[in-house]
Amino acid sequence: MLESLPQPNTDHMDSLTTTTLAALELLFSGNSELWEIIAISFRVSGVAILVASPPALLVAFILAYYQFPGRRLLISINSTLLSVPAVVVGLTLFILLSRQGPLGEWKLLFTQTAMVLGQIALAFPILVAMGHSALQACDRRAWETARTLGATPLRALITIMREARFGLMAALLAAFGRIIAEVGASMMLGGNILHYTRNIPTAIALESSKGEFAQGIALGLVLLILAFTLNAFLQHFQGKGQPA
Amino acid sequence: MTTADQFNVHYLKKHYAKRQVLDEVTFSLQAGQTHLLSGDNGAGKTTLLRILAGLEKPDSIQIDLGMGPLNWRHVKKTLQQHALYLHQHPYMFDGTVNYNLGYAIGAKLTKRERQRQIDKALEWADLKQLSQAPAKSLSGGEKQRVSLARAWLKRPSILLLDEPTSNLDQESRHRTLSLLEAFKSNGTAMLLASHDPMHFPSLIDQHLRLDQGKLIRIDNQNLIEFDQTHPNFRSTA
Ligand SMILES: Nc1ncnc2c1ncn2[C@@H]1O[C@H](COP(=O)(O)OP(=O)(O)OP(=O)(O)O)[C@@H](O)[C@H]1O
Ligand SMILES: [Mg+2]
Repeated sequence: MLESLPQPNTDHMDSLTTTTLAALELLFSGNSELWEIIAISFRVSGVAILVASPPALLVAFILAYYQFPGRRLLISINSTLLSVPAVVVGLTLFILLSRQGPLGEWKLLFTQTAMVLGQIALAFPILVAMGHSALQACDRRAWETARTLGATPLRALITIMREARFGLMAALLAAFGRIIAEVGASMMLGGNILHYTRNIPTAIALESSKGEFAQGIALGLVLLILAFTLNAFLQHFQGKGQPA
Repeated sequence: MTTADQFNVHYLKKHYAKRQVLDEVTFSLQAGQTHLLSGDNGAGKTTLLRILAGLEKPDSIQIDLGMGPLNWRHVKKTLQQHALYLHQHPYMFDGTVNYNLGYAIGAKLTKRERQRQIDKALEWADLKQLSQAPAKSLSGGEKQRVSLARAWLKRPSILLLDEPTSNLDQESRHRTLSLLEAFKSNGTAMLLASHDPMHFPSLIDQHLRLDQGKLIRIDNQNLIEFDQTHPNFRSTA
């Protein structure tokens, strides 16, 4: 497979410039196929973050505020999950969802739902780890003050999340940045089907392997701009999250 | 108060590791009365106050509710309903003074009614000029007043104060004292942990001292006999 990969033409600086210009033209002419791929990426990753955040932040809260047997173990397991490669997460879910797998009846393989599941699995440990440290940094008196002023546990929880909002925003952005750019799990679980499960990273992988660099570069630019924007926000929030 | 004007606590026990911090402590608080709680550093004053606020779990406790024994969950709920704990260093939520006061008001009121109550509290604690200031950036004395005004909006029957004047200058101490007197005349029972009873000459009705896990009642007479030439002593008319 590798030997069939066409070699990029590196003789001419020219060709890179031409391809980049073609890429920009593709982007700004509103090429529908391109924008559809971008939309799929944002939709899948957005849904994954929306679904993963509430339970992940609840786990983060419990880890930060309660002492119970096994707490340390949970924290180390979560840290381990942080560094599991996306392909391994993809493979695991692939086996579970494949026709002979235990969840095969759900017929989810090669659907957007499968991609969302994969991205949830990738985002969850990041949200837990970063949420945990954000909530742990939040002053314990915040919780106690809320409670003694008559807040229900739920309201007190919302209050400390508000107090820790910059750190929690940083967690959301970091998780989003990770899952929107990952290729392994999306490829295995989504199958890279045009108009359906082809997202930015799988499209880049495919187009480049076909030697169609313009679209690859255009999508790469989108990810680059996104990464830049996310990082700008991240720095902004992390700066604000520092204790005064 | 719970039923009557008296709130009784029995058999309050708490230990940390091998240290018995509170050893079968028994006492009662009365509406409109202030108990001073003294004791050396580490005697367990903060622990006692936090338990009474339902923020910390004791090894055992019985509170008088005119009912049979209750499990900690019920006791905790009752305590949280009636008692309010003020940290030694009050915590300000991220937001304005106005926001911090609003936090103590139930969500059921209309916006207008809420603001009316907040305004009353601002006036009560002389915080009007600071209503839009970010609460986290206030001085220690101002934070103390916000925290008292917040408590005032809650109208607890029991107010638990952890060294409320420890970091205040004389001017702020006097302000705190007069706010506490307002609580007292409203019938709030107060338990006030402090190293310096002379900060509250007119306020204290009874003096309790924690020593080796035991609570000792110190005679009222003894309190009066404290050095009246103390710079913080302020006689009340
Ligand atoms: N969470 C905890 N875990 C272990 N030990 C604790 C804990 N909280 C308090 N202690 C111990 O309990 C004892 C009483 O502490 P506490 O803070 O109630 O004393 P205090 O009378 O308020 O002291 P201070 O005058 O210094 O404020 C101390 O020996 C303290 O080390
Ligand atoms: Mg203390």
